[in-house]
Amino acid sequence: MAFYENTIIAKQDLAEKDIKSIKEKYNEIINKSSGKVLKIEEWGLLILANKIKNYKKGFYIHYKFEGNNKTLDEIRKKIKIDTSIIRHLTVKYKELDVEKEYFQKK
Amino acid sequence: MKRKNKKFQKRSSNSLNKLSLFQKNDGKFSKKCPLSVKDAPIVDYKNVSLLKKYISDNGKIISSKITSVSFGKQKKLTKEIKRAKILGLI
Repeated sequence: MAFYENTIIAKQDLAEKDIKSIKEKYNEIINKSSGKVLKIEEWGLLILANKIKNYKKGFYIHYKFEGNNKTLDEIRKKIKIDTSIIRHLTVKYKELDVEKEYFQKK
Repeated sequence: MKRKNKKFQKRSSNSLNKLSLFQKNDGKFSKKCPLSVKDAPIVDYKNVSLLKKYISDNGKIISSKITSVSFGKQKKLTKEIKRAKILGLI
């Protein structure tokens, strides 16, 4: 088991309900496929530095979790099909810093 | 041998110890790496305010010759900057 971080950028023109459903959907996917979510962060609506698929803003959701290759494969498969997600990134870590948040709401 | 050593140390310690203006000053402008000091900021793709210091206005990564970042930290910096660019943070 190793530690990972996953960040998802959702489309800007989604309702709050949809964003909540996306957030819970991936939480369940990770927990079901032999992983364990340690923390979920919402960075909120941020302005993108350059256009991605003709969108200027995106809604960021950030997961910190523990898992193995199966979890990563599951996430990758589900994100590829998902039309409401513009881009994603997973990074492997030896140790996770759960407390510090760089994108805090004022 | 002892005498030679002393001379060498004096030269390297004082930058104003020159005989003429045209003498080359070798390695006297070297700064220490700002990212490998004690309590240095963490290099991470989420730490956008730090990464913005090490890129130019056009979004290019500034070389370590100018910023005097150590070799290992520079490698890590480029990795994290590229990650932040993928997510559209920079």
